[in-house]
Amino acid sequence: MSIMGELAIVFGVCLVCEGVVSLLPFTFPASVLSMLVLLGLLLSGLLKKEHISRVCAFFVGNMAFFFLPSCVGLLEHWGTLSAVLLPFFAVAVLTTPIVYAVTAWTVQLLMSRRRNKEERR
Amino acid sequence: MTDVILSSPLFGIVLSCTAWCVGLWVQKKTHLVLFNPLIVAVAVVILCLVVLGIPYSDYDRGGSIITLMLGPVTAVLALNIYEQRKLLGKYFLPVLSGCLAGSLTSVACALLLCKTLAVEESIAASLLPKSVTTAIAVAISESSGGIQSITVAAVIVAGITGALFAPLFARMFRVTDPVAEGVAIGACSHALGTAKALEIGELQGAMSSISICVCGIITSVLVLFLP
Repeated sequence: MSIMGELAIVFGVCLVCEGVVSLLPFTFPASVLSMLVLLGLLLSGLLKKEHISRVCAFFVGNMAFFFLPSCVGLLEHWGTLSAVLLPFFAVAVLTTPIVYAVTAWTVQLLMSRRRNKEERR
Repeated sequence: MTDVILSSPLFGIVLSCTAWCVGLWVQKKTHLVLFNPLIVAVAVVILCLVVLGIPYSDYDRGGSIITLMLGPVTAVLALNIYEQRKLLGKYFLPVLSGCLAGSLTSVACALLLCKTLAVEESIAASLLPKSVTTAIAVAISESSGGIQSITVAAVIVAGITGALFAPLFARMFRVTDPVAEGVAIGACSHALGTAKALEIGELQGAMSSISICVCGIITSVLVLFLP
């Protein structure tokens, strides 16, 4: 598959999903739907890993670059953000250890139960 | 000539690529989480625009073309899940439950704090997806009326916090299971945390990258049920 072919597949799935999302009665990110569709195609075998591997490697390898313009957009929203700096940092920083603890304890609990079951067998 | 250069979309693209290269170079030299290539590149672009008095709209002509790629960038995460499908299958229930608990906690805490601190709706919508990877966070924020740039900033701050303190969190919360550690790092600090998880161990890194995608999907669905 040529690079253009790989791009056509990835962009094509995204384009179709944008259309589908516009028909939904609720708002859902088109990009997340595209990811689910692409995963479905890979799992069903309709799409082979080799059909999109080079484009995927490029996008994933340089992912953060694509957020650069969005971040620079802070220039335009600086007034809004500076007025809510305290809630901004409270949400972004304080909730991080809480999310870590809840996630880790849930997984750890289920993993230890699983080990206990395996040991009993 | 200056007007022609500044009015071309190529200006924003060239400036972004150059600033990104500077960011990569600084990261390579310092190896510090705080000198993440994205943070350095943003500082370089903003500095250029402010010092040279170039309007943001001139930059955004090219910048918006780069932003257009965010959809495909998110979509290709599907290949990451596909490649980790055996590991995901092996630990399916613990991973799914952990991601569900983590995503619920993240959205609930953000919502509660925003309500308590009387934050306006568009800011709250921007902060809700702060724990998921930027590609998905931006899509969630946009679809729920948030501001893209504030979401990206929140995601980066959460990511750096997780990446810096992940080993401390593990000791503090007595997390000894490598699967639990990896999933938790991915759930609270996405790709920035995954880099740290890979340093801690191979299994932690793999679980963290799975957790990023699963949490992203769960959070996208969760925000549908918000008032």
